[in-house]
Amino acid sequence: MTKSADTHCPYCALQCAMTLTSPAELAPATQPGPVPVTALPAPASPAAAPAAPAALLEVQGRDFPTNRGGLCRKGWTSATLLNHPGRITEPLLKGPDGVHRPISWEHALDLAVSAVKDARARYGADAVGVFGGGGLTNEKAYMLGKFARLALGTSRIDYNGRFCMSSAAAAGMRAFGVDRGLPFPLEALDTASTIMMLGSNVAETMPPFVQHLKGTRDAGGLIVVDPRRSATAAFTSDGGGLHLQPLPGTDLTLLLGISHVVIHENLVDTAFIEERTSGYSAVVRSVNSFWPERVQSLTGVPAELIRETARRLAAGARQGGSYILTGRGVEQHIDGTDTATAAINLSLLLGLPGSARSGYGTLTGQGNGQGGREHGQKADQLPGYRKITDPAARAHVAGVWGVPEELIPGPGLPAVQLLKSLGKPDGVRCLFVHASNIAVASPDANAVIDGLRSLDFLMVCDFFMSETAAEADLILPVLQWAEEEGTLTNLEGRVLRRRRALTPPAGARSELWIMARLAEALDAPSSYSEDPETVFEELRLASAGGLADYSGIDYAMLDRGEAAYWPYPAGSTGTPRLFQDRFAHPDGKAVMTPVTPRRRRTPAANPDPAAKTMTLITGRLLEHYQSGAQTRRVTELLASQPEAQMQIHPAAAEAMGITAGSLVSLANERGEVVCRAELSTAIRPETVFLPFHFPELESANRLTEAATDPVSGMPEFKFNKVWVRPVAVPLSSNVLQTTEAS
Amino acid sequence: MNEQIVIVGFGPVAARLVDELLPAVRAGHARLTVVGEEAEAAYNRVLVADLGVGRTTADALALSDADALAADGVDVRLGVRVRRVDRARQQVLLSDGSTAHYDRLVFATGSRPVIPNLTGINPDPSSPVLPAGVTALRDLRDADVLRQAVDGGKRVVVLGGGVLGLETALAAAEEGATVTVVHNGPHPLGRNIDRGGGAVLAAGLRRCGVRMAGNARSTGVEHNAPDGGFSALLLDDGSAIDGDLLVISCGVRPRTELAEGCGLSTSAGILVDHRLRAHHEPHIFAIGDCAEVLCPDPECAACRNAKGPSGLVGPGWRQAEWLGEYLGLLAAGAVEDADLLPELPAEQPGVIVLKARGMNMAVAGDNSAEPWDEEVLTAGAVNGRPRLQIAQWADPEHGRYVKMTTRGGVLEGLVSVGMPRTAAELVGLFERSAELPADRSLLLRLDGPDGLPGAGAADPQSTVCRCAGVSGAAIQGAVEDGCSTVSEVSKATRAGTGCGGCHEDIKGLIEKHFRAVSTA
Ligand SMILES: Cc1cc2nc3c(=O)[nH]c(=O)nc-3n(C[C@H](O)[C@H](O)[C@H](O)COP(=O)(O)OP(=O)(O)OC[C@H]3O[C@@H](n4cnc5c(N)ncnc54)[C@H](O)[C@@H]3O)c2cc1C
Ligand code: SF4
Repeated sequence: MTKSADTHCPYCALQCAMTLTSPAELAPATQPGPVPVTALPAPASPAAAPAAPAALLEVQGRDFPTNRGGLCRKGWTSATLLNHPGRITEPLLKGPDGVHRPISWEHALDLAVSAVKDARARYGADAVGVFGGGGLTNEKAYMLGKFARLALGTSRIDYNGRFCMSSAAAAGMRAFGVDRGLPFPLEALDTASTIMMLGSNVAETMPPFVQHLKGTRDAGGLIVVDPRRSATAAFTSDGGGLHLQPLPGTDLTLLLGISHVVIHENLVDTAFIEERTSGYSAVVRSVNSFWPERVQSLTGVPAELIRETARRLAAGARQGGSYILTGRGVEQHIDGTDTATAAINLSLLLGLPGSARSGYGTLTGQGNGQGGREHGQKADQLPGYRKITDPAARAHVAGVWGVPEELIPGPGLPAVQLLKSLGKPDGVRCLFVHASNIAVASPDANAVIDGLRSLDFLMVCDFFMSETAAEADLILPVLQWAEEEGTLTNLEGRVLRRRRALTPPAGARSELWIMARLAEALDAPSSYSEDPETVFEELRLASAGGLADYSGIDYAMLDRGEAAYWPYPAGSTGTPRLFQDRFAHPDGKAVMTPVTPRRRRTPAANPDPAAKTMTLITGRLLEHYQSGAQTRRVTELLASQPEAQMQIHPAAAEAMGITAGSLVSLANERGEVVCRAELSTAIRPETVFLPFHFPELESANRLTEAATDPVSGMPEFKFNKVWVRPVAVPLSSNVLQTTEAS
Repeated sequence: MNEQIVIVGFGPVAARLVDELLPAVRAGHARLTVVGEEAEAAYNRVLVADLGVGRTTADALALSDADALAADGVDVRLGVRVRRVDRARQQVLLSDGSTAHYDRLVFATGSRPVIPNLTGINPDPSSPVLPAGVTALRDLRDADVLRQAVDGGKRVVVLGGGVLGLETALAAAEEGATVTVVHNGPHPLGRNIDRGGGAVLAAGLRRCGVRMAGNARSTGVEHNAPDGGFSALLLDDGSAIDGDLLVISCGVRPRTELAEGCGLSTSAGILVDHRLRAHHEPHIFAIGDCAEVLCPDPECAACRNAKGPSGLVGPGWRQAEWLGEYLGLLAAGAVEDADLLPELPAEQPGVIVLKARGMNMAVAGDNSAEPWDEEVLTAGAVNGRPRLQIAQWADPEHGRYVKMTTRGGVLEGLVSVGMPRTAAELVGLFERSAELPADRSLLLRLDGPDGLPGAGAADPQSTVCRCAGVSGAAIQGAVEDGCSTVSEVSKATRAGTGCGGCHEDIKGLIEKHFRAVSTA
């Protein structure tokens, strides 16, 4: 048993460094037993929280360039889940009565194998699907892709990163030829003069990040684009910078307006454009019709602020550096790829990418959202960020796997289409879900739940009874972060080591072990190690020569604390900052692609005269992570944010008779959410905000549409019409108690 | 299907239609010919004043690339005018003597400047030739003329107090020219703005260095310059305004002569229905400045309040997008789908936003009523229709003025001068016909200092450290228990361990405690 381990937070892509220490003799997770003394201070929240067993491990922030010893509340409390009483520690099978009961591992694996064989025999290999997650380690993500394609023989694999990173990834690929979230170390922001953040609320989602904005705020150079006056936007007050508050869904137009000013006020870095880009004149033509006053009418952002933004970005590039950073707020739209492209075009006009102290980046959300999109769990990809349609890439990977190339299936379906196909003729009939709570996190969640219920067989690997696990025929208990070894790649493209600090509960197994057993039973070709380091060694070979080349990285050097940024070909020293000399397209140039806003489909008419049509934006709260499957089980976090609240402007609320804390209904043609209202002047009056961490009647994704970006397959999470009305009759008090408190 | 589509005119609206039709051309469903009288492919006319004062370049104004279009198979004819349309033969006759057949013909001939009747200028309405030192501001050549005057630090006289005149005047003044705006009525933008707004606007223009000559009626021009060019604008009171260049900015008139010549119905513009088709002529369409949507159905409710062509490019672009989809469907043979395409919705009344760097102004709708005009305000309030209401804010000292004319809480008119955020918000509310907050002053405060009300850690229960969720009370408790530095407080409570933004607040709480202790 390890006494102390240096590892990283289990949640978001900042991957804050932490040290886990076991304070005393540890009790097995299933029996909380004698409670070890913990050095963690009591929850500071005034709300009375139900008693929970004390944590098995003490969490300490660890000094690291990204988090500088800081952690957010989610990180601080992460250890409380290790011995959570709700932890699943045995395989569970759903009985005919709908109740899950423990079974042996042997029985569980047999069931999974026969379900696969059965679906394959009846409908063909593509009737078996795999849904992965951006929280899986590189080793597991890599193995999942290999397992799906070789052991299951299916093309139907995709992952929840499609819901977060795919638009920025597609835009980065198109422009730069490679997609690494931040193509520079985070510390580079410290000395920047101007930073523009679009659709990213780091003050809530990754608070330690904010330390890197301090210099820019002090210099008055922080520009935040957000329809809400988010906690991050509030940093721009008192001389910190500018807050641009566009109408939801108009970010692309705003970016074109800023580019217009850059071009027409002669702020373009012409030498850079000339030498290092192609496509400039088409972009000039495309932004021509977006002069500031027109953009003001379309976005609600004053023309003067549009000009000011362009000037500050240009001035910053000549001083300490300018950075443009995008987040989900602007990317999770049907034109998300184009919006990210517009941000990239703006950065190229100013010569930011490729310079030594400026740049463009996208802020990855999930813990291993970066590594998770590089090693083959995407429908169209093979390890090393290779295209599955590229014959050379296929041949290379087949060589590493020791199989004939034809054995690797072609491209499958992106997440939303994959989920739409569940239970349909020619669709997926047998689904394996890993590290993803699709019943809450997918757009049009009601339809997804229907899809899950129409499957012949659903297997979910999780450590909690998530809303998706609750639908499963078979649940396999897996390891939590502090119980496993592996690597993750953070938002900077830096590869980090996750280390084990705790012996897992007796009945839980690693996903690598599960895949190895299943592959064996399915007589799969190639090999499936259950040892993370062995898998990493194979990943190195498979990624060699690819865009995301890890071949020069090994556990030993990571354990020595070396900073490994990919691409890191064997024999090199890695790449902390990309694009210094060339972009990754064959001619070395960045490609500028003209983009313009698309017309949106007209939403269904509001049938309810008592309700008002408003725009819904969804997002995250500081206290919760993703679908909340984990953080809603942390007593302190739940006590602080126990339920979904709809944020609405007091002026809009007053007109509708909505008061603080009163119940409201939000509905549209896809579903309905009932929750309490929170009044806030931080939101625009025609818009409401709902966090997406909550299930059932409070599940924001019951309202979001499964319309997707034509390039990336990213769904529209941030712009949906809803019909809002107060709920007059008080509902029985337990209606809102859908979150499981313990 | 392989339809031959011909577009007459190659301005910004035609450019958008070409872009929309490119997929059909590439797919081989349609052949496309564009005929433009100007030597250049379409450029952004809205920015010619910027070009005229040297703020941007002709390259940056381009909207279309003729070579790229030709490579895509579009037949682009520049510097050629359509002289006649032969509807019987479905062909157009061009100024170079050639002809072209059409299955669908689209008029996008735009508009031309109105040249007032002044002695010394003798305009032929269909092809005006202006004397030296006199220009309108419509195309690249006009911009060149203005450019020379501005670069030479010359005196520019702008005739007309409309928005284009004001924009030109402001830009030229900022770039160093001596500028006088001559307009009739007491204040500029006479037709759109109210008295208060107009006065604050005029004062603002003067502050920006523009001389304003109001209540002026011009009668003629004088040509006494050494080269025989313009030297002064003469007014009816016998006075004269000296200058080196006269820029005429007296509005525009749709170019309908070609349509009239082939027997199409016209009024102010070429008359089209809600599918942009010329009346009783299924093969011909019109879009942009030259088109007037007014359908032949006398009962049509949408057309009852129609106000004629707006002269703004936004509606034209929306028409081009719609027509592009419609013609694309027709070309692909999807006639039923084309018929099912919902008609183009009627345009909201236009919004005027002053394009200028040093001043901010937006006006829209009807702003004529004043707050105490009981009669005017109640005039339309019959059958339960609410009366007009007016909220107004005037601060001439600081160049700020806002007026909101509402009915049932929805804007029917707005004026905003010197209040950029308010203007942006009001324009949005106007365009969406959205209801204003009952407390109208909310809208005025948008331009105030941006600190949020109610912030601050005065309430001990309120959160000081958001990242770790620690209240002021918890920190106070830790300090009482002996923590005397930020790092000690952080250790004990986790406050300040995330973004670090609350370190100052924690320090403040520690200091407060020890101050209290030492005075006790
Ligand atoms: C200085 C200035 C500022 C402006 N500012 C704004 C603004 O802020 N906002 C706004 O909305 N609008 C503004 N406008 C108006 C806007 O420019 C027009 O609405 C827009 O140009 C209309 O486009 P169009 O393509 O319909 O017509 P035009 O731009 O007039 O183009 C028509 C083209 O067709 C050609 N043509 C005509 N007849 C023939 C023929 N028989 N054969 C061949 N070619 C022919 C013409 O030469 C011309 O090139 C401004 C205009 C000017 C001049
Ligand atoms: S910011 Fe992200 S990585 Fe850091 S502690 Fe919070 S959740 Fe964990």
